[in-house]
Amino acid sequence: MSVAAERSGRLRRAATGNLTLALLTLLLVGLTLGMSQLEPLFRALFPDLSQPLYSRDSFLNLMLAHIGLVLVSSLISVSVGVAAGLFVTRPAGREFEPMVSSLAAIGQTFPPAAVLAIAVPLAGFGFTPTIIALSLYGLLPVIQNTIAGLGTVPASTREAARGNGMSAWQILWRVELPLAMRVIIAGVRVSVIINIGTATIGSTVGAKSLGTPLIAGLVGNNLAYVIQGALLVGLLAIVTDLAFERLERRYTFG
Amino acid sequence: MIELQGLTKTYAGKRVVDDVSLTLQSGEFGVLIGPSGCGKSTTLKMINRLIPLSEGRILINGDDVTQLPVEQLRRRIGYAIQSTGLFPHWSVARNVATVPQLLKWPKARIDDRVDELMTLFQLDPAEFRDKYPHQLSGGQAQRVGVARALAADPEVLLMDEPFGAVDPLTRETLQAEMRRVHAQTGKTIVFVTHDMDEALALATRIALLNGGRLVQYERPIEMLVDPADDFVREFIGQADLGLKLLSRRFVHQYQRRARLAPETGLERLDEHAWLVDAEGRPSALAGARLDDADAITRVKPEWIATPEMSMKEALSRMVWYRVTALPVVDRDGRLIAEVGMPGVMGIEGDGAAREAAS
Repeated sequence: MSVAAERSGRLRRAATGNLTLALLTLLLVGLTLGMSQLEPLFRALFPDLSQPLYSRDSFLNLMLAHIGLVLVSSLISVSVGVAAGLFVTRPAGREFEPMVSSLAAIGQTFPPAAVLAIAVPLAGFGFTPTIIALSLYGLLPVIQNTIAGLGTVPASTREAARGNGMSAWQILWRVELPLAMRVIIAGVRVSVIINIGTATIGSTVGAKSLGTPLIAGLVGNNLAYVIQGALLVGLLAIVTDLAFERLERRYTFG
Repeated sequence: MIELQGLTKTYAGKRVVDDVSLTLQSGEFGVLIGPSGCGKSTTLKMINRLIPLSEGRILINGDDVTQLPVEQLRRRIGYAIQSTGLFPHWSVARNVATVPQLLKWPKARIDDRVDELMTLFQLDPAEFRDKYPHQLSGGQAQRVGVARALAADPEVLLMDEPFGAVDPLTRETLQAEMRRVHAQTGKTIVFVTHDMDEALALATRIALLNGGRLVQYERPIEMLVDPADDFVREFIGQADLGLKLLSRRFVHQYQRRARLAPETGLERLDEHAWLVDAEGRPSALAGARLDDADAITRVKPEWIATPEMSMKEALSRMVWYRVTALPVVDRDGRLIAEVGMPGVMGIEGDGAAREAAS
């Protein structure tokens, strides 16, 4: 394929991707704000339910609380994870690499529900134990991909950077991080997507999220609540995933 | 000037570079050569301290390299490597500008310097400035790599098998360009290779290493005609020693007066002669074709030699095109002399060429 054809193909794909992302975002915002408009639909679908629309809180409040949980926990996961990944790939921290990797892997094997159960007696109910569980849970993909991403920088590139007189910081900021960025972002993407799904269980310990109608529906045998919560969580995950895909593409070289 | 004094590198008790001392004068093209594991790359990398030295001293223009801050030292020394090491996320222009940017040159000066270097390496700035490394051919990428090494006008240029990964044809082109760039810039160059032909094509001094020790440090011709020991003799290779010598000799050392053909009586010529056109360019050759000595043959562009061409190449063309003499032309393409098979043999016998070449 010629360069021009390849370029136009890539542009077309990007344009289609942009359109999909825009439409899904619109759908997500629309459903969040206007779920109550769908009450007749849910009433028709679930004629046996006396309350076919979750109404103890607005879906906007639930959505914002959910995004808040994910944002705070992901920020913690990313800053701790990238810092740990950087540390164990520097000469000074290289010997800690196996330890950090296995610690992160252990964090991943704990079911988030178990982490919640441990965190509640220590941190009480609500927001804090959920953040602890989510942050731990999202750590591994970030650490793993930071290490892997820095590992993809060719030795010759690093040697050239050193040979041309860059300092260790300059090599990190100007060469290693930009080249590792695509893989690191892929790790953040996995971490955030996992957390969007996992944040729902925060509602079992009293943290407000899109899991609240889900749990209420499961407990009260109300399938309509479950669908309403799950629909919004699913859409949020898909929109976020597509947005990350676009971000990753910016850091593709050659 | 680069001085290595008793340079030694020890890895786990093993001396991989063992007491190497040599001096390379300013403007010389020094080639470090030897079999794999002889310590040539290690020696090179100790000069810009990518590898710390164990014992001895390295002086660049009198400055001990270990006394300078390491980044500052490396910005004074150009460095080009085999796999180019170009930064894949930077454009060609930004790659070339690496060291000037580290030295915080003003933008206008950097832009001028980048264009100047790209022109020196025959890469059209308008076309190549904004390309990325993955859009370049191997030869182009290697040119950018060397241009980057020269960007901040370093005192010394270190090259670690820079042409080892390109195809043979491109390699010869790059070698010719390197000779030209060396002649134009007068840089002091230290160049590592394992290829004797490459060393002979480029070096003004060859340092042959074996097992970490310096075996012989000599000008190319002297190394060929007077190898220090059996190892050197073996490494140079005996089979085509004659051809190797010819690769260090040039047409201008062998050329002789070209005989112009008379207006009439071509068929009665006892020796070959050249026909020229109105501008004095060689147009045809009477005689001197091996397959049909009496024929008059149009001169092909591939036959034409220049005074700067190596005798190895001239001889190769004679053999390939089955002709016993090549026309030698000046810059404007006018016939000034010829170079022929008998010439190659004749001068070789009395040693005149050896003197002339050295």
